[in-house]
Amino acid sequence: MSTTTELEPTHVTDPVAGLDHEAFAGVLEQTASALIKSKKQEAFNDYATQTAPTHQTEEWRRTDPALFPFDSVKRLPNMTRTNTLPEAEWDNHFDVVVAVTDKHYAIMDRTGITRDGAITVMALDEAAEKKPDLVKTYLQGQALPTTSGKYEAFNDAFWNFGLLIHVPDGCVLEKGILIRYTMEAPDALFIPRLVVAAGKNSSALIAEHLVSADNTKFLAVPEREMYVDEAARVKLVSLQEWGNDACQISNDWGLVARDANLNWITLNFGSKVSKMKFGSDVAGPGSAADMDGIFFASGEQHMDQRTLQIHSSADTYSRLLYKGAVKDAAHSVYQGLIIARPGAIRVDAYQTNNNLVLNPGARADSIPGLLIDADDLKCSHGSTLGNLDPEQLFYLQSRGLSEQAARRILIMGFFEEVVERIPYAFIQDRVHQHIDKKMG
Amino acid sequence: MNEDTSTAILDDYKYGFFTEIEADSAPKGLNEDIIRFISAKKKEPEWMLEWRLKAYRWWLKKSEPTWPHLKYPKIDYQNICYFSAPKTNVANPGELDPEIASTFERLGVPLHERDRLAGVAVDAVFDSVSVITTHREMLKEKGIIFCSISEAIQEYPDLVKKYLGTVVPYTDNYFASLNSAVFTDGSFCYIPKGVRCPVELSTYFRINALDTGQFERTLIVAEDSAYVSYLEGCTAPMRKQSQLHAAVVELVALDNAEIKYATVQNWYAGDKEGNGGIYNFVTKRGHCRGARSKISWTQVEAGAAITWKYPGVILEGDGSVGEFYSVAVTTNKMQADTGTKMIHIGNNTKSTIVSKGISAGESVNSYRGLVQVLPGARNARNHSNCDSMLIGTKCSANTFPYIESENESSVIEHEATTSRVSEDQIFYLKSRGLDEEDAISMIVNGFAREVFKQLPLEFSVEAVRLLEMKLEGSIG
Repeated sequence: MSTTTELEPTHVTDPVAGLDHEAFAGVLEQTASALIKSKKQEAFNDYATQTAPTHQTEEWRRTDPALFPFDSVKRLPNMTRTNTLPEAEWDNHFDVVVAVTDKHYAIMDRTGITRDGAITVMALDEAAEKKPDLVKTYLQGQALPTTSGKYEAFNDAFWNFGLLIHVPDGCVLEKGILIRYTMEAPDALFIPRLVVAAGKNSSALIAEHLVSADNTKFLAVPEREMYVDEAARVKLVSLQEWGNDACQISNDWGLVARDANLNWITLNFGSKVSKMKFGSDVAGPGSAADMDGIFFASGEQHMDQRTLQIHSSADTYSRLLYKGAVKDAAHSVYQGLIIARPGAIRVDAYQTNNNLVLNPGARADSIPGLLIDADDLKCSHGSTLGNLDPEQLFYLQSRGLSEQAARRILIMGFFEEVVERIPYAFIQDRVHQHIDKKMG
Repeated sequence: MNEDTSTAILDDYKYGFFTEIEADSAPKGLNEDIIRFISAKKKEPEWMLEWRLKAYRWWLKKSEPTWPHLKYPKIDYQNICYFSAPKTNVANPGELDPEIASTFERLGVPLHERDRLAGVAVDAVFDSVSVITTHREMLKEKGIIFCSISEAIQEYPDLVKKYLGTVVPYTDNYFASLNSAVFTDGSFCYIPKGVRCPVELSTYFRINALDTGQFERTLIVAEDSAYVSYLEGCTAPMRKQSQLHAAVVELVALDNAEIKYATVQNWYAGDKEGNGGIYNFVTKRGHCRGARSKISWTQVEAGAAITWKYPGVILEGDGSVGEFYSVAVTTNKMQADTGTKMIHIGNNTKSTIVSKGISAGESVNSYRGLVQVLPGARNARNHSNCDSMLIGTKCSANTFPYIESENESSVIEHEATTSRVSEDQIFYLKSRGLDEEDAISMIVNGFAREVFKQLPLEFSVEAVRLLEMKLEGSIG
């Protein structure tokens, strides 16, 4: 969290994409809400003093920050509201669709669930005017377990689209909310911020779909925060299909209160270079976090994912399963950490990372970790790397399948454990299509 | 030290006594003159001094690594004495000083030829120099060279020149380059082609003098089809001040050779409040240079206030095998950051890692390992298993494995668990009439068994006893 100082810094240490105090003044001009302005100012002061991570920083050792096109992208101006944007194939399956393009955003309530004002799906600046108490509560960054890093502070200061989803106590969102980002402008810097808050005993289903045009240089620096209050359930599926020249640095955090449950599925297929961080903190007794992921890197893709399973309370549970494949000259990095804070007793924590390295030249790094400061608990992690089992391939071929078909079955089977947890059948189908396409 | 305090201390750490002996020491501090002084004391040839100075100049440009999960006060490298040798026996030159002999006697290290039955040839290192090496004649008949490294530099310069620094170059890391600049003594073993070493070779390191760092360097070379089993033990007196120990061990195995290297490390670990103890910063690495060669590390880490140690194997020869078996016990305020590195370069290389961490008291016990498969290594295979056991509510156990695969034909598996001593198991054993302490000791021994069975029998028994002694009183 940033410290509030009266002084507005005029010097910015290691500006990201050249964004300095002048650029920030421009951002403030685009922002109407005084509340948001002060929050952005706080974050900017923090951003201005922090140094950017370098290739030497442990977390960035396998993904050189120099790979990101900071110098050639320009921050998109804040997205402006429009009443409606063209529909897309999946819209019918959701209560609310939030469509975001490089210029506009539209919030389309298809079943009228937000009409009575209880459920909030609103751009952050609009919410700051209409529901300032909510924004005040959830814009303090409590989901972040430590002080924010350079890119988190950067996002907090410069976001050009912010969204607040709030589901009040006891409310159940059955069909869910779809957030669809469709980016086409070249050399754009897109900085979305998403805050999801689920009240006591509520339940919410949220899907994210991130798409950008191929052969278009583009950088996204998203940040997501999820607050899951007592006994609430939140399920979030994020399907990342950025184009082949897109890059991403993301920082996502979830804070799970007593008896609540967060289920978080990330599906990464797109982008050229990406560095993603997903952290959950099961902070109340009886809370649980399930984190699942699929990633498939091919061509020259570089995907770096870091996960944190933090247990700051006793009697908590977390389970993580990340399955990935690398092909061609792609490189994937998985870094996971289970942290049991002092006093976090009777904790159950599991972390599994399985990697398929499909051909010579592809590379996968797996760095699972445990950081345990409590005694009465069970933690384990497992990690495997390898190609398809030749015996299994042989067996299937001896049953009359072609090698291609046998490989397909084994790879599909490998990912199925995660695919079947995806709560929407059409997203499951899309994942299958991606795997097929990647296998070629 | 008066009678009362010394006995009080001995209860805790039976190797904590201090031997009063006249010593020949270098002044405190580190500069090029000190290095020249050490080199002159050791009557080293010019090339050795040059190498030391190169290492020192490189060290000056580097800074201490900050990535380990360790917290300790900054080390003042100028406040350490880099050379301390017990004065030679004036009455009978050429013979071992009786004071030193009795020290090793008290430590249970056999230094006399009559102890041939013990089946171990020993090189005993007291502070900065090797005081005696046993069974040399018998080994010489087989063509085996086993002597102190200082002696080897003078007598077998070609062999030393050929292998020294080829596994751990002086540019390897901060502590290895410090060692390269100021190393004082250690052992040198050379097993010629086709020879199977008939006894266990062993080095016993003893830090005695105050404010002295021990920087030993060990080099073991096994020629084609040779075999050697080597054991290392270490202790130090108890002191309020911390002492630095930065060793380098290099192993080279050529075609079909096998080296087994076992360590039972029991440096003084500091008192209950965490005062004193040895800072153990060690670089150990084996190089399977030849085809089908094998290097196996077994370590029982029971002492030292701070441990920073990653014995690794570079698997270069096709079909070579690397093994790492480790039990690390931390109690009170000890901190250990230890593990291994397996670098697969050759085809069909295999590595096995079994690490058992036991943390009690307020200690911090971390496993840190790297398994790397380079692009050219076809069919590499690794299996790692890292288990941690927690005893008490204030200790922590961490696991940081790094796995990097650049070859699709490799198969790598890693599994790790952390849990506390199971209440059910304790209850069961208690219901069979064991008291809690014995029950826990039995469970812990079972937990570490997989590693202990890799040790030669006598050491295995000793390791079990050491573990029991360490954990005594930390349960409840």
